[in-house]
Amino acid sequence: MKTALRYALAALAVAAAIAPIWWLVTISLKREIDHFASPPVWIAFQPTLDHYREAFFLRPFGAYLWHSALVAAGSTILALVLGVPAAYALARFRWPGQFRDKVGFWILSQRMLPPIVTCVPLLLMLRQLRLLDSLAALAVVYTAFNLPFVIWMMRGFFEEIPAEIEEAAMLDGESRLGALMRVVLPIASPGLAATAVFCLIVAWNEFLFALMLSQTQHGTTLPVGIASSVTQYEIKWGAMSAAGVVAMAPVFLFAAVVQKYLVRGLSLGAVKG
Amino acid sequence: MTARLARQGLWLAPAVALLAALSIYPMLYLLRVSFTALDGGFTLDHFARLFQDRFFAAAAMNTAIYTVVALGLELVLGLALAVLVDSLGRGRAFFRTALLAPMLLPPVVVAVIWRLVYNPQFGVLNGTLRSMGVDTSALVWASGQSTALLSVILVDVWEWTPFMFLLLTAGLQALPAEPLEAARVDGATAWRVFRDIKLPLLKSTIFLAVLLRAMDLMRVFDQIFLITGGGPGIATETMSLYIYRTAFRFFNFGYAAAMSLAGLALAVFFARGLLRLITARAR
Repeated sequence: MKTALRYALAALAVAAAIAPIWWLVTISLKREIDHFASPPVWIAFQPTLDHYREAFFLRPFGAYLWHSALVAAGSTILALVLGVPAAYALARFRWPGQFRDKVGFWILSQRMLPPIVTCVPLLLMLRQLRLLDSLAALAVVYTAFNLPFVIWMMRGFFEEIPAEIEEAAMLDGESRLGALMRVVLPIASPGLAATAVFCLIVAWNEFLFALMLSQTQHGTTLPVGIASSVTQYEIKWGAMSAAGVVAMAPVFLFAAVVQKYLVRGLSLGAVKG
Repeated sequence: MTARLARQGLWLAPAVALLAALSIYPMLYLLRVSFTALDGGFTLDHFARLFQDRFFAAAAMNTAIYTVVALGLELVLGLALAVLVDSLGRGRAFFRTALLAPMLLPPVVVAVIWRLVYNPQFGVLNGTLRSMGVDTSALVWASGQSTALLSVILVDVWEWTPFMFLLLTAGLQALPAEPLEAARVDGATAWRVFRDIKLPLLKSTIFLAVLLRAMDLMRVFDQIFLITGGGPGIATETMSLYIYRTAFRFFNFGYAAAMSLAGLALAVFFARGLLRLITARAR
């Protein structure tokens, strides 16, 4: 094929991927009377921040944003605290027989359960524990989503580091944990950061469990808040779009930060929770 | 020896304990509830009902159509895009990153976007068509009985073709250079190189991508729930949505549990069939 044609096709594909997202941005910035002008206006419109003001000051999206940030940060930290030692143990320790492969596979298989299967029992379990509407409980659930991913990613990163490095540190008097914290993790820190970012994205995007476990505004995350405005009869397109733009902005920021690891993380199914 | 293993086990224990608590308990619970009648006794009614429930049959059918059509479109488009972008010189990295955007979005944002696109009166899709002189009065997209399922499938194609593209791009990059070079030296056309060399070498990547995607498609929930809610009527109701409705609208946890287990069994069966089909082809 001619080079120009190939570039034209690729540009067309990018347009198809980006145009709907850009349309959301324009709706969030347009005055209400311009929203549904015919023919549709893609670029030259008079911008306004009214919808952002409405969404985050008149409506409780600001609080939802804060909840989402808390849950995402809390679950990511917890997943790393639990997952990194487990990954290290699988990567480094000597285990009898098939133990390493069996446990590794079992951990990975935990990602395969459809969420709809686990959500009813979890809901009832958390209700009995009086933990519905609790952001902490939601963070623990997301931790379980992210753990298999953390363990598999970090195990791979640890295996790339020669064992001699921490053996030398341990001869110098470091404990195993000390060697992990002070010697191995600093070397693996780019991978650790990428893993953390993928966990943040999963927790930030998740919808089904957040929907079911939240009962009042106190336990509502941004996706659930936006969803409840999607299903209302009178839809506030502008405010909803503004909240949507704010919900997607951090994800793109995160993705830009971990660009080098994007393929590795995404192909493990990271963002799908 | 045992002391060492016990010490090592401590490193794994917290993670394994949390995963077990949040997966084994729900499975045991599902098993118990699915065999429990309203009065608390043992029953097989929930499973018997599966075979008579036409809503369940419709939901299973919708799930199957959704999975097969979306999977086919995503595979073909993803493969075409991966090969296309791979053949570009300058700007390849830009195209690769830009094409991934849809799969990173929160599902709820995807739903908002496509409601803005599909809305029959003031959606940008009909707006654009109108400005080109098309009569759009009959084009209702996601709210039409006959077009709703296709509309939500197209949303899935938009959102997840990037995933296929990503995996297949990684696969293409990992191909050995020698056979491609040799074919080029021998004067093979781009199409022949693709069909006779790249495609066979990509087989295992394609297989992995199809399997991962199929497992996700069979459990689709978020976008459909948020765009059509399963409607109009039950036109877009998939298994996950029907289970959700049974559990959280009708509060029939026993039947919802039975459906969950049946769905899980179907998914495993389907995945195994796919696995066997593709490994048989590979030989």
